Amino acid sequence: MDCLDVRDQLLDFQHGRLAPEVVGNVQRHLDGCGDCALADLTERELTHALERRTPQYSAPLALKRRLAAAWPAPAAPRPRGRWPRVLHYAAVAAAALLLALPFTYELLSRKDAGAVLMVSEAVNDHVRMLQSQRPLEIESGGIHQVIPWFSGKLDFAPGIRFAGDTEFPLRGGAVGYFVDRKAAALAFGEPSHAISLFVFKADGLPWPTRGLEDGTYRTVARGFDVLLWHDGELGYALVGAPDAALMRLAAKLRHPA
Amino acid sequence: MRDGEAAGTLGREALAYADALYNLARYLTGNDTDAEDLVQETYSRALRAAGQFTPGTNLKAWLLRILRNTFISQYRRRRHDPTVGGLDTVAPEVPPTSDIGWRRDEVELDRLRKVVAEELERALMTLTDDARTAILLDLEGLSEAEAALVMGCAVGTIKSRLSRARASLRVILKTWRG
Repeated sequence: MDCLDVRDQLLDFQHGRLAPEVVGNVQRHLDGCGDCALADLTERELTHALERRTPQYSAPLALKRRLAAAWPAPAAPRPRGRWPRVLHYAAVAAAALLLALPFTYELLSRKDAGAVLMVSEAVNDHVRMLQSQRPLEIESGGIHQVIPWFSGKLDFAPGIRFAGDTEFPLRGGAVGYFVDRKAAALAFGEPSHAISLFVFKADGLPWPTRGLEDGTYRTVARGFDVLLWHDGELGYALVGAPDAALMRLAAKLRHPA
Repeated sequence: MRDGEAAGTLGREALAYADALYNLARYLTGNDTDAEDLVQETYSRALRAAGQFTPGTNLKAWLLRILRNTFISQYRRRRHDPTVGGLDTVAPEVPPTSDIGWRRDEVELDRLRKVVAEELERALMTLTDDARTAILLDLEGLSEAEAALVMGCAVGTIKSRLSRARASLRVILKTWRG
């Protein structure tokens, strides 16, 4: 076995993919050849660097959630048939009743079931923006820089004309997701009173139908103020701390001076 | 098994590979937004083709293959990048590997010991898509046969592609730090 043979098989040697007799031959060559021994060390060092120091990217939680929602749940296993059929049906009916009770109670006790999903999504997205170290893909140079940045990144134009002001400065934006679709995520306010605005296509979402005030649904969830409204094809979700005066910002967004 | 049942059975297990798929997607597309879109499209295609998956075979490799094929069909063309799609392992601006890939020295070994994450990522992104994929699949722990399945080529091709990709990587790192 010469140097050429050994170099060809170094990776297999290191990965333990060679037959025992070949391993012995390679090892004997390495013991007697300084150049190949150095090549062996170098390849091991490269593997070590790649395995230990190559940056690994994890799928964002929002993506995982969307993927999980897209895949159907596994089918429940079928009954084995040892119980008499009547008992089986009775058990199924009882279980269904037990399972349905809490959901029925939840649905009845909530003002609007569709709003729960929308509000939860808005708060989750806002929290992700707060927790992200780099939430903004475009730092604000003004509305005329931020809005055009979305061009080509979304299949709609975010209908925002409010340019920000001293009370609600526009800090920038990023492409995000709302439920199952892309959204323009805009950040208003100082970081200590951060407000997130998500703009997305409105069709097909379970918009609240009750408790609306001037077409806007307002609620508090997990300590955040949340406003939802839609205007034409676009939907809007505004989230911030309760003291962030969201209604004033919503008015400015809906009716810019 | 019907497609719906197959998808349901496969779903939970497939989601366990979301991080591995996203990592490869991120290195192929070079940005978060496209990587997310690529992974989502991959799962969408996998869902439609769930009935074609053979139980007992490597699900991770099957998903990675769908991801790579989706990348080729949708993203490579969009990028119009002259460095992709060929047999070369590195972009044209990188020096050829012919001699340097063979020679080793203590200085190179020392440099490899000190290489940092940012340099590794930059070096990987300098490689062609196929070379980068070969290295990443190896890092994912795929066997040569599984990597060959993902990349749609012979096992021997994977072996030489990985070897050349690693040599190119060393050359790039050596050039930068030399």
